[in-house]
Amino acid sequence: MTLVGLESILRLAPGCRLNEHGAGQDLLLIPEGALRMQGPARKIVELCDGVRPVREIIEDLQHRYGSEDTARIETETIALLTRLRDRGALESV
Amino acid sequence: MTYEPKALIAEVTHRCPLHCVYCSNPLEMQRRSEELSTADWVSIFQQAGEMGVLQLHLTGGEPLARTDIAELIKAGRSSGLYINLITSGVGLDGAKLDGLIDAGLDHIQLSFQDIEEGPANEFAGTRSHALKLRMAAMIRERRVGFTLNMVVHRSNLDRLEQMIAFAEQSGAQRVEIAHVQYYGWALKNREALLPTRAQVDKSIETVEAARTRLKGRLRIDFVLPDYYAKYPKPCMNGWGHQQMLIDPNGRVLPCHAAGVIPGLEFSSTREHPLRWIWGESPAINKFRDESWMPEPCKSCDRRTRDFGGCRCQAWLLTGDAAATDPVCTLTPKHSVIEDILAQVNGNSRSEWVYRIDPV
Repeated sequence: MTLVGLESILRLAPGCRLNEHGAGQDLLLIPEGALRMQGPARKIVELCDGVRPVREIIEDLQHRYGSEDTARIETETIALLTRLRDRGALESV
Repeated sequence: MTYEPKALIAEVTHRCPLHCVYCSNPLEMQRRSEELSTADWVSIFQQAGEMGVLQLHLTGGEPLARTDIAELIKAGRSSGLYINLITSGVGLDGAKLDGLIDAGLDHIQLSFQDIEEGPANEFAGTRSHALKLRMAAMIRERRVGFTLNMVVHRSNLDRLEQMIAFAEQSGAQRVEIAHVQYYGWALKNREALLPTRAQVDKSIETVEAARTRLKGRLRIDFVLPDYYAKYPKPCMNGWGHQQMLIDPNGRVLPCHAAGVIPGLEFSSTREHPLRWIWGESPAINKFRDESWMPEPCKSCDRRTRDFGGCRCQAWLLTGDAAATDPVCTLTPKHSVIEDILAQVNGNSRSEWVYRIDPV
């Protein structure tokens, strides 16, 4: 399984979207169902705007969530984005 | 135990320009004059959203036969639902499609009867294949979720590779290859539709190879004919567990087919709030837990996985809706399946029975 690269630019695939904010729980709605967005996952998906590369998204998160464990933020963000891409919820631009 | 509904299948009309020989609509279809109004559906979608339903599948018949389809999409979307339109594509054009997407349509599932025009039109009972090809091209030009649905059976299964090749260049993100399930019109045409064991085995190999080749480019969902399975399918993931179907007249059912089971009174949204029907109505609760189960289900470890299989199939094939699904090789009633398979794996060919549209 190849991981999403730092220079990849991602966006939600057609037919996939986040549910309305404040609907009780954060979900990524996809054609076959819904994926639960835990912790910062919703924010990460929101940052996949089809413009900024993954590297910038990680920097944004490191800034946002404190930089004590920057390596962990990078690993976990890439793991999440890879899972969502392989699931067909995110596509490369 | 409480059951949270996740998906609502809205059968907004039984009217359809196609006459598919395996249509999942009941043999007794509802007329236009019996259909729920726009306001009725708007209220249903709102109630569903409040109950936590996530997905709305607009189907029929042909949902585009409703002139208020854009309004229905809009209402579903403003109730917080994800909107999937299950369509033959007949009745669609570019402007109309744009209107539906503007109204909030998330996803389109476009059905195909075959990859070759002659047989496709024969199975649909109408000349619709060329039009569907044009619709597929129109959908791919727009930013909307797109799944192709290929219905497969004895008479087209040998063209499965060509179907997958078509799906690959269609622009769809996903293809659903669905073996016909034997309810409604499909049961009437079963002897002509049921594939041979050799065909089924070949189709599994073809799909496996395509999945490997297309990984990351096209998702393939594959529905096998349960007659060839060892254990029954977990039908609807359990009766009244996650999904509900509302028919054109407002009756709430656990699935497409449950109307065939005698003695069950399915409550209507015309008379009761949806929350009550889902939670309290007798028919939705009838096979919800395990109390109805006979042996071998009752003491079987698989009962929490397959819920005893399909109640409608049990009724249709054994005359007892509370029997183990006869697909299960552990029940003595499995002999009814074996008899059918023996017949199909010999040499027989029946004539089609076409559905006739309600007025």
